[in-house]
Amino acid sequence: MNHTFVLPNSGHNFDAKASKMGMWLFLYTELLLFGGLFLVYMVYRSMYPDEFLLASFNLNVWMGTFNTVILLTSSMTIAMSITALQKGNKKLSINLMWITIAAAIGFLVIKYFEWGAKFDHGLFPGMDHFNALPTGERLYFYLYFFMTGLHGLHVIIGGIFILFVISGVKKGTVTPERYSLSENAGLYWHLVDLIWIYLFPLFYLIH
Amino acid sequence: MENNKHEHITSYKEHFSTWLALILLTFMTVFVSVFGADLRTLSVATAMLIATIKATAVAYYFMHLKYEPKIYKAMMAVVLALFAFFMIMITIDYLTR
Repeated sequence: MNHTFVLPNSGHNFDAKASKMGMWLFLYTELLLFGGLFLVYMVYRSMYPDEFLLASFNLNVWMGTFNTVILLTSSMTIAMSITALQKGNKKLSINLMWITIAAAIGFLVIKYFEWGAKFDHGLFPGMDHFNALPTGERLYFYLYFFMTGLHGLHVIIGGIFILFVISGVKKGTVTPERYSLSENAGLYWHLVDLIWIYLFPLFYLIH
Repeated sequence: MENNKHEHITSYKEHFSTWLALILLTFMTVFVSVFGADLRTLSVATAMLIATIKATAVAYYFMHLKYEPKIYKAMMAVVLALFAFFMIMITIDYLTR
């Protein structure tokens, strides 16, 4: 074993286990970040169950379901892109990552229309219709915009992360022997999916 | 650097099966919610149960947790225990106000 100190990214030093462990540690903090928000949701929903129910009727269940399917499918394509890279099929790996990015954009486009419809109805915090709502419904929309907004931000970051991996595979810094970056981008993308799995029933499927 | 050689490579087929199960569970949870409107509290519990099954499948198969060393699962358990602790404390707080 060679213990000489080498600068990171100099192309000499590489620790797949530490890279993955670091990514997981970060993901655990992400879980607790969203976990805190889910606890806020739990408290307010138990205080205003009827108003949460009423407010949730403003969301379109089918758009939410479609977005769920998009995210689950993109989770599969990014997972498969890692398999492809590990098996040495770079082209397939890159194509699967492009599909994942396309899905991320599709997800955001649908979210844009969903949010747009809320803006048109004056349902964004601060707008007239929103201000006239009872407390419980206002809380629902505060949480809806904050949580789906934070989640949407993660979708954007995840997409950019995957772009870096694509360029890495093309440049040859991410290879079948050295795929940590691709694996970590995948882990991040799955987290985005994981959060949505809970956001979807909690906001769209209150009945 | 022997760490890569023993890595488990998940097959395309396994990823596809996981995806199929997740999609089926999604339609199940929508179905329960849209058509089972009478079972109000039950449908919240069902929705959370299905979401947890889906989340576990994503973590286990897509995120490879199944094939990772025990330390990853142990840390996940710590995170979940911490979250459960927060949840219990908050519930006790609000119930005793």
